[in-house]
Amino acid sequence: MEGTTISLHMSNVETIPGKNITQSLGLVTGSTVRAKHLGKDIFAGLKNIVGGELKAYTELLNESRNEALQRMMMAAHTMGANGIVNVRFATSNVAAGASELFCYGTAVIVE
Amino acid sequence: MSEGYLIAVWILIPIMAIFGFPLTSWALGRWYQGRLIAALDVKEKQQGKLMQNESVLSTSSRMTNFSAPSSTLLHVSICVGPSTGQMFFMWIKSIFGGRLHSYDVILDYGRREVLQRLHEQAKSLDCSSMINIRIETSTVSFAKNQNNKTSSVEFLAFATGLRS
Repeated sequence: MEGTTISLHMSNVETIPGKNITQSLGLVTGSTVRAKHLGKDIFAGLKNIVGGELKAYTELLNESRNEALQRMMMAAHTMGANGIVNVRFATSNVAAGASELFCYGTAVIVE
Repeated sequence: MSEGYLIAVWILIPIMAIFGFPLTSWALGRWYQGRLIAALDVKEKQQGKLMQNESVLSTSSRMTNFSAPSSTLLHVSICVGPSTGQMFFMWIKSIFGGRLHSYDVILDYGRREVLQRLHEQAKSLDCSSMINIRIETSTVSFAKNQNNKTSSVEFLAFATGLRS
């Protein structure tokens, strides 16, 4: 299953607009910890001379957040859910050089 | 006379060495970020005209007035940071306290830019309105050692997009 893309109904509100929730299956979470390779770190350091957007970091965080979402969807999928409501994101700096991206939501069955 | 010169030069050289790089970085940062903000202003004006009437943007999750056939989760993040020189001068400024102008400017830019990108993502996924918009801020640093002062602020915006 790893590597395949699952698509579920997702929203960050209490319902899925246009659908009826028939059953709630409980909390699902997904997380990933990422670090940057040194080369890009040096490049970001150079970019810091002018400031502004640090594209290397933006890309990294986007990739990792998608991975965390994918893991959460996998968890929901194995529970037999076809939707996740109330999705929340959290970012934390767990160690120097690494960041944890975490998302959680409630797995539901909708029709 | 020539001794006075020498002393002046020997005092000036260390001052240049200490402040030369931060000053350059500060000036470059001001210039570069000014350009970014000017570009964003133009984009926002165009977007504003497009989004004015046809869509609903809300931080509330209530949507009793809408009956959307389908929806999707939208999320965008962006990392921004002030330049090294700006950080250096902010460090000096923070001794006295008061408004830190450089941070002010770059954080404001980041937040506007991330909302702008959320709009663009909504448009690319055919969403006509967004509800329950949330913006979160966190500090991220991927620097491997503590001495490296490369730090940035991450803005994450997420919302539920409705297709009509």
